[in-house]
Amino acid sequence: MSTHNAWEERPTLVGRLGKGGTLVLLVLVVLFPMWSVVVTSLASRKTIDAAGGMVVIPREFDPSAYLSIFSGGTVTQALWVSTVVTIGGTAVSLVLTTFAAYGLSRPGTLWHRPLLFVFLLTFLIAPGLVPTYLVVTGLGLKDSLWSLILPSAVSAFNLVVMRAFFMGVPTELVDAARIDGASEWGILFRIVLPLSKAVVAVVGLFYAVGYWNAYFNSVLYLDSSDKWPIQRILQGYILGGQSPAVTGNVPINLPGVTAYPPSLAVKMAVVVVTVVPALVIYPFVQRHFTKGVMLGAVKG
Amino acid sequence: MEPPLAEASADRRRFLGMLGLGAAAVLGGPALAACSRRPGGTGSATGADAIKAVLPAQKPMNPLAKPDIDGVGIIPDGYLRYPSTLVDQITEKPGRGGTYKAIAPWWGPTPPALGDNEYVKAVNADLGATVDTSQQDGSTYSDKLSALMGGRDVPDILVAPNWEVGKISRFADGVKALFEDLTDHLKGDAAARYPNLASFPTSAWEYSVWGGRLAAVPFPVDGPFAWLLYYRKDLVDAAGRKAPTNIDEFYRFGKEMTNASAGVWAFGSVFSIVQSMYRCAGSSESGWRKKSGGGLEFKYETPEYRAAVEFTAKLFKDGLVHPDVVASKGADEKQLFKGGKIIVYQDGGGAWRGMQSEQLKVLPTFNMQPMPLFGVGGDPVLHGTERPIFWTFIKKGTPKDKVEEILRILNWCAAPLGTKEWELREYGVEGKHFTRGPDGSPAPTELGRKEIGSQFRFLTGPIPSVVQTADVPNYVQDLLGYSNSHIKFLEKDIFAGLKLELPANYAKLNTPTEDKILDILRGRRPISDLDVVVKEWRAGGGDEGRAFLEKALSDNGR
Repeated sequence: MSTHNAWEERPTLVGRLGKGGTLVLLVLVVLFPMWSVVVTSLASRKTIDAAGGMVVIPREFDPSAYLSIFSGGTVTQALWVSTVVTIGGTAVSLVLTTFAAYGLSRPGTLWHRPLLFVFLLTFLIAPGLVPTYLVVTGLGLKDSLWSLILPSAVSAFNLVVMRAFFMGVPTELVDAARIDGASEWGILFRIVLPLSKAVVAVVGLFYAVGYWNAYFNSVLYLDSSDKWPIQRILQGYILGGQSPAVTGNVPINLPGVTAYPPSLAVKMAVVVVTVVPALVIYPFVQRHFTKGVMLGAVKG
Repeated sequence: MEPPLAEASADRRRFLGMLGLGAAAVLGGPALAACSRRPGGTGSATGADAIKAVLPAQKPMNPLAKPDIDGVGIIPDGYLRYPSTLVDQITEKPGRGGTYKAIAPWWGPTPPALGDNEYVKAVNADLGATVDTSQQDGSTYSDKLSALMGGRDVPDILVAPNWEVGKISRFADGVKALFEDLTDHLKGDAAARYPNLASFPTSAWEYSVWGGRLAAVPFPVDGPFAWLLYYRKDLVDAAGRKAPTNIDEFYRFGKEMTNASAGVWAFGSVFSIVQSMYRCAGSSESGWRKKSGGGLEFKYETPEYRAAVEFTAKLFKDGLVHPDVVASKGADEKQLFKGGKIIVYQDGGGAWRGMQSEQLKVLPTFNMQPMPLFGVGGDPVLHGTERPIFWTFIKKGTPKDKVEEILRILNWCAAPLGTKEWELREYGVEGKHFTRGPDGSPAPTELGRKEIGSQFRFLTGPIPSVVQTADVPNYVQDLLGYSNSHIKFLEKDIFAGLKLELPANYAKLNTPTEDKILDILRGRRPISDLDVVVKEWRAGGGDEGRAFLEKALSDNGR
């Protein structure tokens, strides 16, 4: 008689091969498009034409697409803008969200129910395009990078996530700190926040990815192209050479637009440049991400 | 005409807004959610007489270079080679040192901003003024326009594409409140001060009148046909076939060219052109025609339309349409056509040159051509419009001398082919932005491609012309050959010269009704359902639209 339980038995070879094969397939499904994007960005025009579009098998290493996009200065400038907005915006958002969530998580805070209700209301009712525009321009944010940060500085969703996490911090700890003479600020900074690193990391990641990918606010509020974020520049490259006749079947001819579409290699190089920062940062935050999800799962 | 994707994207935005979740909603949600838009009101019409009274007197300009192929009517003239000598047309600097902010749409990589852009500096130096054009993403331009106009925050010069203004609620009211009235500057002989603008066709100006006043400078259209039916002549020749010359041959052609086992189908979308073959009423894109007994009837209500639906449904039923097109409204027919997976499909005139040029590099035998059209029981009825591509507005409250300066700048931007101004505007500075080929034609350099966008090209267009380029040999002959032989089939617009803002109920009916008809074509609903669809259309606002348009016509004695 076996000493193992049935579920501890070693799976059959077929089972293992099946699982392994499925996993490899899934990984390939994810990696294949990325591979093709990278290879195409490094391919010459000739290789791209021969492949009839996206290249799969690398034939040479041609960095001219990267040299081309970085030589004009717009991509470099936009990357800089996006970095500033992402770092600055995430910092502003985290500070505001943490304070608001902590305040709303403590019972007995002044007007905490009506305030929470107002926050939750934004789930259901979104302000209109023109009213938002009027507020942003009225505050003098037009053509300023703050217009990419302040209108979206606090997300009700992230606030609710953080508040729920703060409410899970044992009241005993808070009470003990209070008995030891800690102020509300002391409790927040010395007790609650150190225990909430996971949620801060997760919410910070949400915000950072949001700011990095943000596009529409820059369409509305920024006229000077030297302040545009990378996603806005990317959009231009991807749409490059596609007049409305191409994108929307509006049946017109538009002189000049279709004359010099950027090559596919250039388009793909911009995709790589845009995606790489997120890929690089994600592994560092991911361990908090997993921890955040698992925290408390086996308490007891 | 609304791009088919517009509806879907508005729905997506509403959906995201409702959810209020996820990264998209975190940052773009509230603003995006507000983008669902509603044309307002019961409609308004400006009469033809009121419009005629404010139009500039047209003074056609003698072409600076003699065209090789004359365009008939509004078809642009064709040039087989670049003009050998260029005229310095505008000798006095149009600018007086003013600084102006402009906003225009652009579809392409963002050129460097004013300070870092040699092209913009060169043009501004020639203008004697500083024009700083913000080139906004063309695919979201209506959102930008809504925000600018709703927020009463328009720039000195604003360019609005004709297909976007219909999406802006109360656009006519906005024009009155936000933009300068140009009537006194351009009416009648006053336009002679701006000779390039005065050479624009009167039809382009007719569409630039709002509320009986001239409110914008038009960008004249360069091709009147709404749709062309493209076919892969290289593949058809290789198969030993010829383009069909009547509707029965067209069906047989479909049968013969379809080879499903090889992954090739004869047709992509062809319904708009089939309507033209069946002589459906279109009256440009409006779809109305006069009934013999008086009043108007819409194309849905005519036997010609029913016949076109039945024929197209048969193409679908008999498996002659590519399955991707059968399955989805958003199939990438261009890609299928390039790859030879479909042989025939309809597209705008703008698709031709770019695709031919791009594909010749991949397949030297690639040859797409517009199929010569035929009618069933008479000549085909082609739909098209002379409506300008863009309108250029000037901000209200701009002092008179500044308005004149801007108009002189626009006059510079409208300099025709054969002038130094045209070359500078189109290609930049020789040696920097372009080099000259052996035939004298400019070829853009890397810097030229990078720096030149819509900064000055879209502010207003010149009288259109087509010049041959080495990358697409024979294009000018092919385009002019087709256009000149088909312009006679272009239907006369019964509403020409009237300015119509359609009632909201009627305007919003188009897309849902067309979707229902698409279901009938694809065999998802029986053809007999057409009666139900027409009934729903009439009740939903079709009859309201008819009453409005009949009144507009009778008010103008038509």
